[in-house]
Amino acid sequence: MEIEDDEILQGFIEESLEHLADIENDLLAIEERGADIDEDLVNKVFRAAHSIKGGAGFMGLTTIQELSHATENVLGLIRSKKLIPTPEIINVLLIASDQLQSMIEDVHNSNEVDISAHLVPLNAIADGTYSQSAADPPQRPAKAAPPPEPPPAATTPASVESKSPAPRTESPAPAEPVAAPAEPIAEAEADAEEDELEANGDIGDDESGDTADFVVPARGGSRSKMAGPPAKTETTLRVHVSLLDSLMNLAGELVLSRNQLLQTIGSDDLRNAEAVGQRIDLITSELQEAIMLTRMQPIGNVFSKFPRVVRDLAKKLGKTIDLTIVGKDVELDKTIIEAINDPLTHLVRNSVDHGIEKPADRKRIGKSEVGLVVLKAYHEAGQVVIEISDDGKGLDGEALAASAISKGLLSPEQAQVMSDKEKINLIFLPGFSTAKEVTDVSGRGVGMDVVKTNLDQLGGHVDIISTKGAGTTISIKLPLTLAIIPCQIIETGGERYAIPQVNLEELLRIPAAQVQNRVERVGDAEVVRLRGTLLPLIRLADVIGIERTYYDLNNEEVKPDRRENTADRRSKESPLFRSQSEQDKRQGGRNDHPPRSVLDRRNSASSALNIVVVSTGAMKYGLIVDRLLDSEEIVIKPLGRHLQQCKGYAGATIMGDGRIALILDVANLARMARLTSLDGSDRASEVAKAEADALRAQKDRQSLLIFKSSETEHFAVPLNQVERIEKISRNDIEDLGGKRVMKYRGGSLSLMCIDDMASVKPLADSDNLLVIVFNIAKRAVGLLAIGPIDAIEVNADIDDVTLSQPGIMGSIIIDQHTTMLVNVFEMAQALYPQWFVEREKVVFEPDSDIKPPTILIAEDSKFFRNQVKGYMTEVGYDVVEAEDGVEAWDKLHEYGDQITMLVTDIEMPNMNGFDLTQRIRQDDKFGKLPIIALTTLASAEDVARGQAVGVNEYHIKLDKERLMVSVHDYVKRRH
Amino acid sequence: MADSRSIGDSKRIVELATFFVGDALCGMDILKVQEINKLMQMTKVPQAPDYVVGILNLRGQIVTIIDLGLKLGLGATDLSQDPRNIIVNSSGGAVGLLVRKISDVVSADMERREPAPANMRGIQGEYFTGVYKTDNTLIGILNVDKVLSFED
Repeated sequence: MEIEDDEILQGFIEESLEHLADIENDLLAIEERGADIDEDLVNKVFRAAHSIKGGAGFMGLTTIQELSHATENVLGLIRSKKLIPTPEIINVLLIASDQLQSMIEDVHNSNEVDISAHLVPLNAIADGTYSQSAADPPQRPAKAAPPPEPPPAATTPASVESKSPAPRTESPAPAEPVAAPAEPIAEAEADAEEDELEANGDIGDDESGDTADFVVPARGGSRSKMAGPPAKTETTLRVHVSLLDSLMNLAGELVLSRNQLLQTIGSDDLRNAEAVGQRIDLITSELQEAIMLTRMQPIGNVFSKFPRVVRDLAKKLGKTIDLTIVGKDVELDKTIIEAINDPLTHLVRNSVDHGIEKPADRKRIGKSEVGLVVLKAYHEAGQVVIEISDDGKGLDGEALAASAISKGLLSPEQAQVMSDKEKINLIFLPGFSTAKEVTDVSGRGVGMDVVKTNLDQLGGHVDIISTKGAGTTISIKLPLTLAIIPCQIIETGGERYAIPQVNLEELLRIPAAQVQNRVERVGDAEVVRLRGTLLPLIRLADVIGIERTYYDLNNEEVKPDRRENTADRRSKESPLFRSQSEQDKRQGGRNDHPPRSVLDRRNSASSALNIVVVSTGAMKYGLIVDRLLDSEEIVIKPLGRHLQQCKGYAGATIMGDGRIALILDVANLARMARLTSLDGSDRASEVAKAEADALRAQKDRQSLLIFKSSETEHFAVPLNQVERIEKISRNDIEDLGGKRVMKYRGGSLSLMCIDDMASVKPLADSDNLLVIVFNIAKRAVGLLAIGPIDAIEVNADIDDVTLSQPGIMGSIIIDQHTTMLVNVFEMAQALYPQWFVEREKVVFEPDSDIKPPTILIAEDSKFFRNQVKGYMTEVGYDVVEAEDGVEAWDKLHEYGDQITMLVTDIEMPNMNGFDLTQRIRQDDKFGKLPIIALTTLASAEDVARGQAVGVNEYHIKLDKERLMVSVHDYVKRRH
Repeated sequence: MADSRSIGDSKRIVELATFFVGDALCGMDILKVQEINKLMQMTKVPQAPDYVVGILNLRGQIVTIIDLGLKLGLGATDLSQDPRNIIVNSSGGAVGLLVRKISDVVSADMERREPAPANMRGIQGEYFTGVYKTDNTLIGILNVDKVLSFED
């Protein structure tokens, strides 16, 4: 094969490919009209085939000539109405034109292609001997490589098949093109960039005039390796002459303006300079616009292939589908047009394959048998919207959620709180495929997540609207161009960075005063509460590894930031994650902090947090930056190869002052901060759970009164047991009959010291004493103590082992001091046993023949459970313990009638006291069980609620006296 | 690039642009040099390899600046001592080589070039294609492609 003139050959290839592109759609139109032949259309196709034949003959491409000739024959018959174009005939023609296209694309090898598989049916049609069976062979290759594949993929298998039987021996090369197509397409795509270079190199080779024989293997190899997009990438572009003219005109203007500017600079004429500046400004923007226009391509270039895609697919799947295309003229940047091809193909296939039901199914549910797929493009708010809608079965949010759960992509809890829309959006999750069975049409392992990723890369946005049973509309919003993008400019560490506006959700400034409350730490992660959701925070400085700084508003300087974390220790933390020592520091020490200096920057405006809330795919997070600057339109410039390893940047841009700002890659930053999409949501739910736990724990808090007895030891009593606190002087105490008493409200008050019973240091030798008055066994009793006193709330995590001794029920760490919890009842009982004798007798006697009553105690705090258990066992009751409502319910069934009564806490995990009570009351067997509720919070509301569900009595925790009276009461009634 | 190299190889006399990296006098084929600049305002690139000092805007083109001193292992070039930038066009875009001082252009007879020693004043020999001896000094002829190559 000798091709003398590369330029002419190139021209032939371009022209032929254009013809072929038209032929395809025209053939489809002919098919649609059937016997009602549109002569103009057939003529057009005929002429196209004819000119390919002519060109091929001139170039010596005999195989192409032969095939186009056979095609032309058939078309001639259709034109003269000797043949009615049935779908079968059109099919043969379409497949032949595919073959023509592939041969023209690989024109150097075209003469070696075996086209007999196409010639036979074509000639048969022409001879009138064609039957359906004869059509089968040529259909094979087309089926193996469905036409919607990017051209080379469709090309290579076909050519391989036909090439293999007749290997050429001209050079060692022919083996290569055969082997090469076997390479996975994925790899080729990954190497796309490389290949592009290679391809360019090849073109260079061609031009430098190497002999064709050497070019053949090289081209064959690289072509087939290039597979998809690169081959599609056109290196030339058709631009309207008028546009070029206006560009030329503008360039001329620019030169003139430059001359003017240079003159003006020399003459020092300011006013004129202003005018020139304005002029240059105008020309530049016009020039920019015009140049952008040259890159604009109608989206019809992509859309035009879909009639064929839909037709072939529908045929294969046995569906009837009507495709409507609207807005072919909408223009988009060339790079976007090229990149959108694959995602769109995928979506259209999805609609045809998964969306539209089989005709029979459609008929059954009362839809027209013909499915509708609409492909629509239009402008909206400076963006281009592409919609793919079908009237098929729609997406089933529940089914999607169930599938995601079964694949482990989602937890049932997460699914429960998801809206329908969120559920539908699940199909974008990696590893999710909606098809029940994988079809070879669209279920090929690549799912919608790839589509979404591709579109995200283009700065696009996908949205799905779907009604079950009525259809699905997928709308894609795309920027008009990628070359200029609006960006938010931010500053960190004294350098500016740009964040593409497509990633930008909102800007958030947390004033210094609120930082403490709104920024929280969970583990080592920082989160901010934003309208009820928790947003993970990433510090830009940390991710890119520079020193943390802050921008001082007062003197406009960038200063190093030495805080350990955003939510520094004084900020609110999730109680669950708070360490013990920090907790105490906060609780006890809040009065001890000296007033912070006004100059403390934590309180100055500079310490406000500037957060850019960005989203990428399913992920949303906050990026903490030093300063938020303007929003600007920027031009993306690539970074040199030495910086390719820096994954955090999408490129660089030149700012108005000539300096460079790096463009941040929001998705990669999240990856660098190890905040992956699913991790993010996992973490968010984890955080939410922790919050809930913490909240619940908070309700179970205990109010304590803290005081001292000796100077060095700290004590506490439950605040709700305290009647009042009196200040007395030591002289008020009288020592009578071995008992200390004092005058109190017209009577005498018995006084105790903690060291009377517990082995602690004696009461401090101070004149100013405090008497904490309790009401025990209907008598007032005073506990001598010294200040300072304070009332605080703590979590009820009381250690009841380490320091437990007579008179001390346990210890708790408050403000870094181990504080002993005084058991006032025990003390009173030991010191004034006579007060209790009377009642003890009334109670149950262990040696009577009645079985001891069994009390079920439901309480999640071990400390309180042990306390209550102690009260019960002390008087001879049997006790069954349960840690929560669920366990109590189980125990109740386990022990059945043995249980005399239930003493339950209100705030418990899994099932709270109210629910437990309600459940018991509704139960036939246990409905009458006496229930006493214990709580730290006995608000009127709670009491009412308790009574509503059937609680018999309400008591405050650790009020042993009242509790026991009630218990005895119920036990007596029972026996 | 390919052209300049072939000319450089075939021609006996090559003009060498010489410059100081630290104390070492190095040279490179002047045809590879696009321009020589004073250091303009740079933008730091966090996370970049340490020898990348930053990037700068050269008339609308983003140029990566490589500190030749660091790259060759001679220590960082002092930015306050008015260093110069040799802008070289490489396949991966324009790259600026930061050097301490620019010296003369030397006409070198390539036939008199001697192979580079394994180690020259602390610089790995691999970065040189050879050394050229003048009357009073030695010029290390820099292997620009090697210097610009990007090792992982």
